Amino acid sequence: MSSQKSVQIASNSVRFFHQSLFKTLVYFTLLILILLGSYRAFPLVQDALFFLIIASILTVILNPLVDWMESSGIRRMYGALLVFGGIFTLIGTGVVKGIPALLNEVGRIKDVIQQNSATDSLDSLINNINSRIAQYIPNFKLDMDIISDLSAQFFGQLGSILAGALDTFTTIIFILIITMFFLVDGQRMMKRLIETVPNRYFEMSLNINYRTKQQLTNFLRGQLLAALGVAIQSIIGLHLLNWIFDANISGVFLIGSIAGLANMIPFVGPFMGMIPAIIVSLFNNLGDPIAAASFYYILHIVIMFFIVQMIDNNVISPIVVSGSMEMHPLTVILLILIGSQIGVLAMFLAVPGWGISKVVIQEVYQGLKGHRLI
Amino acid sequence: MALSQANVFSQLSWQEIKIVEHAIHIRNYAPREPIFKQGDPGSGMYIIIEGRVGIFLDIPNQEPKMLSELSEGDFFGEIALLDESPRTAAATAVENCIIIGFYRPDLMEILKTKPVLGSKILLALSEVLAIRLRSTNNELVKVSRVLEDKVVSPENE
Repeated sequence: MSSQKSVQIASNSVRFFHQSLFKTLVYFTLLILILLGSYRAFPLVQDALFFLIIASILTVILNPLVDWMESSGIRRMYGALLVFGGIFTLIGTGVVKGIPALLNEVGRIKDVIQQNSATDSLDSLINNINSRIAQYIPNFKLDMDIISDLSAQFFGQLGSILAGALDTFTTIIFILIITMFFLVDGQRMMKRLIETVPNRYFEMSLNINYRTKQQLTNFLRGQLLAALGVAIQSIIGLHLLNWIFDANISGVFLIGSIAGLANMIPFVGPFMGMIPAIIVSLFNNLGDPIAAASFYYILHIVIMFFIVQMIDNNVISPIVVSGSMEMHPLTVILLILIGSQIGVLAMFLAVPGWGISKVVIQEVYQGLKGHRLI
Repeated sequence: MALSQANVFSQLSWQEIKIVEHAIHIRNYAPREPIFKQGDPGSGMYIIIEGRVGIFLDIPNQEPKMLSELSEGDFFGEIALLDESPRTAAATAVENCIIIGFYRPDLMEILKTKPVLGSKILLALSEVLAIRLRSTNNELVKVSRVLEDKVVSPENE
């Protein structure tokens, strides 16, 4: 009896896995077709499309704030102006103080990595690691050039992204102006657009638009709050490591921000978040016998990030992230692989981007099904 | 037909009516064009500005049965503003119609940005539902009395 039951459970699991795999493949094919179609059909409007997408995402994030101001009696126009006043102040402060500081930090870490790659202390560290690992895995050899190249490449790319951000300051202003129009007049624009829909599909389109907007607002707000939570916890944790163990980890704000952003990627994000901290700790503490005895604080860093993840998974995420982000591990791996072909930024954005697409596709599917159109 | 004639909006000031006017949708329907079908997810109410609308009940293997015919000033589907359950009947334009549509997403948006106005609309909707409930109760009492009489009368005879 029990064997029959277990066979049934196993066959259900296999069926569930196949269904889930099938769904993932269908979603993937749809997304790739949409992306390819958009890319092929609108090569001339690619930039405009990019601006519109980013402005729409910003509108979804900022809309609740402007709505709240409007419900408190402030006219929508003034509410949007207040929000933008705040954003411009933040950007201004960031440009004047933050970005040069971050660029310095990234450049400094890159220099440390490149300088240290030529020193004997790094050689001895690598030899030490190789000899320890060789006890368990014969023929294993960690190449110093690979480590130094990879680390320099990682921080070099990060530096070029930040420097690129400075160059594209005008683009940011342009996107913010579009967002401003969307915030003030978006409702009317969307109404005009939906009014062109034939009567047969009108109610359905209105509902899909409303539900998608709601889901996206919840999803993006949840993701941003969770990322902010992880970033703050990581910064506090790294400061504590420096304070209690004298771990000498520099660039704490940058590393915390990377950990927060990486957290948007399920499964692999937390590991990606701790890598910069480990690299910085290794290179900052080379030649220090106390640090070498503590194995360059790698275990401390891993435990700290593990605690951050525990707090995030059990306290913060259940409160702020909606349940719509559940993803098959295979989906996540494929998305990261595809993103990594494009660049570091695409790798970070692939999973949240997929989450947004999934919400839109699900709502359109449910709407069409509810009205018996499919 | 003024929006304020519909009982859901009759308690609103002219400034509030102006806000609602920005939220509503004016749609044109050709004769025999469905406004909604029976079983569709309900998402809003309709007010007839011009023309006539038939409310039909689909009966399996039979022609749809017309329950009522509505004309200018009449409104229907207001319960769908509160409840997303499927439509219990179909609505079809009998002739060329101009109809105001006020949907759940519009009401939700008003509740979010103008909570006082949204509450007034919800209160008016509750009043409509209370009147309907009272009238249904009265009908039920009448029906049960007729049934009681029918049950009691054979014994008396």
